[in-house]
Amino acid sequence: MPILARAYWISSADHKKSIKKTVYSVLGPVWEANHIWIIILIVILWIAFPVFYNVIIIYLHIPLTLVLLGITLRGVAFVFRHYDAVKDNSQKLYDRMFEFSCLVTPIFLGMAFGTLISGNIIIPDDPATANFADVYIHPWLQPFPILAGCFFSALCVFLSATFLIGEATEYEKRMYMRKAGIATFVVVVLGMAVLLTGYLEDMKFISDFLDNYYALGAVALSGLLLFPLWRSIKRGHTVTCRFFAGLQVILILWAAVGTHFPNLIITKTGPVSLLEGRAPDSVIDVLGISLIIGGLLIIPGLFHLLKSFKMIKILEEKE
Amino acid sequence: MDNLDAARMQMAFTLIFHIVFACIGMVMPFFMVISHYKWLKTKNPIFLTLTKSWQKGVAIFFVTGAVSGTALSFELGLLWPKFMIHAGPIIGMPFSLEGAAFFIEAVALGFYLYGWNKLDEKFHLITGIIVGMSGILSGILVVSANSWMNAPSGFDYINGEFLNIDPVKAFLNPAWFTQALHMTLAAFAATSFAVAGIHAWQIYKNRNTPLHKEAFKIAILFGAIAALLQPLSGDLSAKDIAQRQPAKLAALEAHYKTERGAPLYIGGIVNEEKGEVTHKIEIPKALSFLSFGDFNAEVKGLNDFPEEDRPPVAITHYAFQMMVGLGTLLMFSAVVYFISIKKKHWQDKKRYWLYFALLSPVGFLALESGWIVTEVGRQPWIIHNVMRTKDAVTPMPGMIYSFYMYVVLYATLSIAVTWLMARQIKALNHTKL
Repeated sequence: MPILARAYWISSADHKKSIKKTVYSVLGPVWEANHIWIIILIVILWIAFPVFYNVIIIYLHIPLTLVLLGITLRGVAFVFRHYDAVKDNSQKLYDRMFEFSCLVTPIFLGMAFGTLISGNIIIPDDPATANFADVYIHPWLQPFPILAGCFFSALCVFLSATFLIGEATEYEKRMYMRKAGIATFVVVVLGMAVLLTGYLEDMKFISDFLDNYYALGAVALSGLLLFPLWRSIKRGHTVTCRFFAGLQVILILWAAVGTHFPNLIITKTGPVSLLEGRAPDSVIDVLGISLIIGGLLIIPGLFHLLKSFKMIKILEEKE
Repeated sequence: MDNLDAARMQMAFTLIFHIVFACIGMVMPFFMVISHYKWLKTKNPIFLTLTKSWQKGVAIFFVTGAVSGTALSFELGLLWPKFMIHAGPIIGMPFSLEGAAFFIEAVALGFYLYGWNKLDEKFHLITGIIVGMSGILSGILVVSANSWMNAPSGFDYINGEFLNIDPVKAFLNPAWFTQALHMTLAAFAATSFAVAGIHAWQIYKNRNTPLHKEAFKIAILFGAIAALLQPLSGDLSAKDIAQRQPAKLAALEAHYKTERGAPLYIGGIVNEEKGEVTHKIEIPKALSFLSFGDFNAEVKGLNDFPEEDRPPVAITHYAFQMMVGLGTLLMFSAVVYFISIKKKHWQDKKRYWLYFALLSPVGFLALESGWIVTEVGRQPWIIHNVMRTKDAVTPMPGMIYSFYMYVVLYATLSIAVTWLMARQIKALNHTKL
């Protein structure tokens, strides 16, 4: 949900007002719920995959702190804007905070993921004598992770614009279709740039990716899905176009993760497996039960929330 | 400041702010629901205005608490990775359940905030109750994870390895009930006295008095009951600490010599170098009795613990004195409130409202002091008697800059939230009923 704001950020000044209205009204009822997915993701990682989590949290300390800063500003800016008792010029400040933090958060998140697969991470034998910049800054402040961050952000824009097509007024629809088109172009260009940069840097992940027929097939299929996606957008098939857009992103992420699974971290000295030092079965069982119970309570509630406030038009009953 | 102290300061600073946001987000829904219920029963517009005003406060504090909680979930790993690599799988259960409870709270809050004139009246009210109940549940679950650090259980620690993990036993560790009870009551007392105090100040200033009097009545009732129950819960906690964390007990009482029939110190100035406390009031045998229910029980003094296993004494002792002193003041104030229900003329006097207005920050000061006792009193351990805090800290240098960043972030957030609340109250005072 928060990524919808991206569509607002890239728009021209003339359209900001109407976009803002759509984005904020769509986000409103679920905003309170939207921070929790990241807490649940973090909790799953530290409970089930503590060794893997430990590498991420130590060597990506700075980009993750920046993600955290973005999440904090984004969360409070939205709610301050909505619940401030006085609607004055401070609204503009909240808007700027919201736009900025919504832009940088997925970029740093994508940079963190890019760093994990880049092979740039150094795990020193003696952290006390390691060079700070070499270990904690250089690995993520490189062209490949930066481009990966931009690519991830562009994927968010693409999903947001496609989602908003189904929520917007007739006038806005054309605008979101244009945004979705631009986003698609940017995703393709940035995706190519990520691959090219990795290839030129002789990155293990990229060479493995290019050798992996399943990963290449998934990306090719994702590209081919553009045709049915555009056809469904033009015909106004809201559900189908969201399905295709979602499937495209899943295929891209699957290709990225599947290439090296379970070795999702590649360091200078070798890979780190997600399953390395995973928690004992007794812990995984309890985690699974907790998540199932939580899901059974949450998902119907969330669905009912979306339906009650007609937040998502496809849930509205046909008259 | 070295890396360890900077990480400690950052954690302390984040917790100090998060606890305030979290407690208000946890307790205010109950005020909102009571006011909502009164609106449905009486159709008095005061209650509708009040409910809608409080719900804005709930939303602001809920989200601020959620984002500062998200920051904390990251920080546990960012600052203490060696702790999380071992503790994560053991204490993950309450955290994952807390995530679920928090999600339910968020969904219920979505219904409540946007449900006016759209949902059935009863269902709308119930969603408000769910917000409050799931908030309390979240708080209890998180405190359970903290209490495990004080009473580690649910694993075997063999040759530096954590084996035979039992997450359920870790969750239901021996300290969870006393700590969760103490914290829940503290959250009610602190938030209620703070909210009641803000409304008392508006009454003192003659601003929209009928509305603020109703608000005061709702808020103070929760606080007064919690403040009266808190000493009983404190007694349970003291006995629990005496049994399992004797070094913490000795530090919070600044008790250096092991003795039978140990006296209780009130106040006093701690000299850590000389190992003595001066200018104190002594109550003979009271510490032995309060800790073990026996006037002649032996209380182990700090001198009998190895120096490297002792917590910082002065800060723990002063924080404990402050918590108990302020808690006693709130208990006394609760009695004043209940008497004033009978002696209504007290409420006609301005100094009555000024008194409660001045009490506004007291509950939170007591609550923060209590957390200082819990956390500083456990030092030098991050997991009591198992892992030292210095062994858990991140190897990344330069944590001081991270600490500065968090100081700026949370100070800005606090100023912003206070400013928003002031605007809220100003708008409330201009509401025509």
